[in-house]
Amino acid sequence: MSHNAVNESVKGSGSRWQQVVIHLFPLPALVIYSVVIVYSMVAAFGYSFFSWKGLTRDAFVGLDNFVTLFTQEPYNETFWNALGHNAYYFALEMVVQNGIAFMLAYVLYTKVKGAEWFKSAIFLPRLLSVIVIGFLWKLILNPNTGVLNTFLKTIGLDSWAMSWLGDPDTALTSIIMVNNWFGVGFSLLIWLAGLQAIPAEIVEAARLEGVKGLKFIRMIVAPLIVPSFVIITVFSFIHAFEAFELVYAMQGSQGEPYMSTDTLATYFYRNAFGGTSGGDSVSIGLGSALAVIMFAIISVVSTVFMNVTRKYEVEL
Amino acid sequence: MKKSVSTMLMVILLTILAACGNNGGNGANEGAASSAEAANTATESETTAAPEATSEEAVRLTIGSWRTEDKAAYDKIAAQFHEQNPTITVEFAPTKNTEYNTVLNTQLMTGEGPDIIHLRPYVAGKQVADSNFLVPLDGTPGLEQIPSELLIAATGSDGKVYGAPILKNASLILYNKQLFDKLGLTEPKTWDELIQTAEALKSNKIVPFAFGSKEGWILSLTHGAIGPVAYGGNDFVKQITTGQTNFTSQAFTDSVQLLKDLEPYYPDNYEGIGMDDMRNLFVTEQAGMMIMGDWEIAVMRKMNPDLQIDAFPVPTKDGQASVSTWVDGSFAINVNSKHQEAAKKFIAFALTESFGTTLSNELVRQSTIPSVQSGDELIKKIASFSNDAAIATPYMFNVYFAAGNPSSKTAFETSVQGYLLGKLKVEDVGAEVQKSVDTWFKPLSQ
Repeated sequence: MSHNAVNESVKGSGSRWQQVVIHLFPLPALVIYSVVIVYSMVAAFGYSFFSWKGLTRDAFVGLDNFVTLFTQEPYNETFWNALGHNAYYFALEMVVQNGIAFMLAYVLYTKVKGAEWFKSAIFLPRLLSVIVIGFLWKLILNPNTGVLNTFLKTIGLDSWAMSWLGDPDTALTSIIMVNNWFGVGFSLLIWLAGLQAIPAEIVEAARLEGVKGLKFIRMIVAPLIVPSFVIITVFSFIHAFEAFELVYAMQGSQGEPYMSTDTLATYFYRNAFGGTSGGDSVSIGLGSALAVIMFAIISVVSTVFMNVTRKYEVEL
Repeated sequence: MKKSVSTMLMVILLTILAACGNNGGNGANEGAASSAEAANTATESETTAAPEATSEEAVRLTIGSWRTEDKAAYDKIAAQFHEQNPTITVEFAPTKNTEYNTVLNTQLMTGEGPDIIHLRPYVAGKQVADSNFLVPLDGTPGLEQIPSELLIAATGSDGKVYGAPILKNASLILYNKQLFDKLGLTEPKTWDELIQTAEALKSNKIVPFAFGSKEGWILSLTHGAIGPVAYGGNDFVKQITTGQTNFTSQAFTDSVQLLKDLEPYYPDNYEGIGMDDMRNLFVTEQAGMMIMGDWEIAVMRKMNPDLQIDAFPVPTKDGQASVSTWVDGSFAINVNSKHQEAAKKFIAFALTESFGTTLSNELVRQSTIPSVQSGDELIKKIASFSNDAAIATPYMFNVYFAAGNPSSKTAFETSVQGYLLGKLKVEDVGAEVQKSVDTWFKPLSQ
C-alpha cells in the first residue's frame, strides 16, 4: 500500500490523502527543530525581559536588561570591547582566511597537478574537533616549550618568539589565525565550486580574446562568483559574531588575558552560565539579553547584506 | 490542491509551535511558583516523606557533583553507608567540572536534579540556596562541630545553613624536598629568607616559583596566599568586611605589589603560562616551589610518584606564618528530592568522623571535621596550620568578595593581569576592585 503511494506520488497522480502523508515525513525533524531551536530562542527572548533572583525568574522589567548592557559600567565597556573583537575576528577571517582560500582555489581551478590531493589536504583540519584543534595549537603556541617559538629561536628570530596567548596584543590574533588555518579548506571548497560553475564557453571566449591573468580574474571571474562571495561573507560573518568554541578551547570563557579575547559569546556564557571558574554567580536576564542582541545583529546584517548584494549577481 | 496541502502544513506547524509555547510557559510558571513556595513545600515534603522512610522500602539516592575524579572514593563511602543503612543505596553521579553548574541549574529550574547536591562554596552555592532549591539543614546532628567560619560557605542570605561542608582547602607554599635537601635549603621562616631561598634556586638554574599569569584564578589564589604578608591576615579581613578600611588602602596596594616583587623568580614568559605548564614545571623538577592549594598534592604525586612534595606556610616579614583557607564544597539536599529522610540520613553520615577520615585518606584532602586526623603526613602537617587560628586566615576574595556581576574576584583577577602586563598601575588594581565592590557590598555589622 505504502509502496503504491510512493509510486503514484512519484508519477504525480497521487490522491490528496497520499500527498498529505508524504508531506508529514518532515514532521519529526520539524518537532525536534521546534523544541530545540525555536523554543529556546523564544524562551531566551522572553527571559531577557525579566529580572532574575539567582536562578528563579523575578519581575517583568521590560527593556531594563538591555539598558543596563548599553549604559551601565562595566557592562557597556565589556559589551563594546567584545563587539569590537567580533568585528576584528570577521575582518581578519575575510582578509586572511577567505583571501588565501581564493588564491588556493584559483590555483587549483587552473588545474595544477594533484589538485584533488591538495584539496583534501587543505580541507583535512576541518575534520578534527575544534577542541582538539584548540588543544594542539595551545601546545604549539606555548611560550617555552611550543614548536613555534622553538622554531623561531632556531632560525635566529629570538625577538619574534613571544607569549602568543599570554600577551593581550597577540592573543586574539593568534586565535583567529588558528581559526583561519582551520577554516581555509571550507572557504576553498566554496570558491572552487563557484569557479567551476563559470560556463566553459565564457572561459573559452575569453581565452580567444586573449584575456589572461589578473584581467581575466577582474573581468570574467569576479562578476561570476558573486554568489560564492555572498555565501562566504555571510558564513564568515555568522561564524565571527558567534565565535566561541575555539576561544573557549584556547583561553576559557574569562576573556583572558586582560579581556583581550572576550567575544559576545564568551560574555554571554559568563552571564548565563557563570563562566569557567565555577564559583561565579549567574545573571540569566543579562545573558538572555545578550543572546537576543547577538541574534539581532547576525540576522539583520546577514539579511541586509544578502539583499544588497543580490543586485550584483550576474544573470546568465 | 497544492495550496490546501501547504495550508494544512502551516496549521500543523502553528499547532506545534503553540503547544511548545504553552508547555514552555507553564513550565516556567511552575518553576517560579514552586520555588517561591519552596520554603513551604520543604516542610511539607518532610512530613510526607516520613511514612516513606518507615515503610522500609528500598530507596536510591543520587549525588550530583563536579568531582568526576573522586568517583572511586565516593563509591567506597557509598558502600559503607549502605552497610549501615541497608534500605538506602547511594549513587555518586558526577558531571564534568566545567559543565556541572550549567547542568545542575537547568535541572533545578525544571524541578529535577540529584537528591544530594554537591554545592559550590560561597556565592555560587548561596545563589542556589537563595533560589529556594535547597532544604535548610540547621539542627542536623554533626553540624555543630563544624566551625562557624566554614559554615559561611553554605549559608543562605536568610542566615540558615543549607549545606554540610565536606572538604576544605589551604593555599600555601609547596616545595620539592629533594631539591631543597640537595641545595642545602631549609624552610624559610621570614619573607626575606623566602627571597634568599628563591635567589639560591635561581642561581642553581631552578625556576624558584612555578607560576603563570595566563589564568586569572591563579592570580587571586596566589594573592590569597601571600597577600596577608602585607595586610596582616585576620585583622585586615575583619576591617575590610566591616567597612573600616577598603581596597584603596595602602595595606591592600602593598599586598598586590608583592606579586610583582616576586617577578624575578617566575619562569620565563610567565604571562603565557597556565596551570598545566605550572604543574609540569613543578612535577618535572624544573621548579622548586609553587604557591598552590593542597588539592594539587594528590594530582602531582600521581604524575610523578617519585616527587617528594613538602609544604610550608607563607612566612611574613616579622617571622609569623600564614596559610589561607576556604571550603571546597558542601553536601546539600534538593528541595524536590522524593527521599528527604534518606537524604538527611546521608548528610548526618557525611558529618561523622568515620566519613571524614575515609574521605580525607582516599582523596588526600583536609576534612572539615576538626577531630579528623589524616593518615597522610603532609596533609596532617597542612591541617595543623589551617586549624591554627594564629596561622590560618580566610581566602578573602573567595570567601567574602566573590559576589557581584562580574564578581569582584573576577574584577581583581582581570586588573592584576593588567598590572603584571604593565597596562595598569598598582594603585589602579585596588581602585578597580573597590569600584566593583561598591556595586553590591554592604559592610557586615562589627
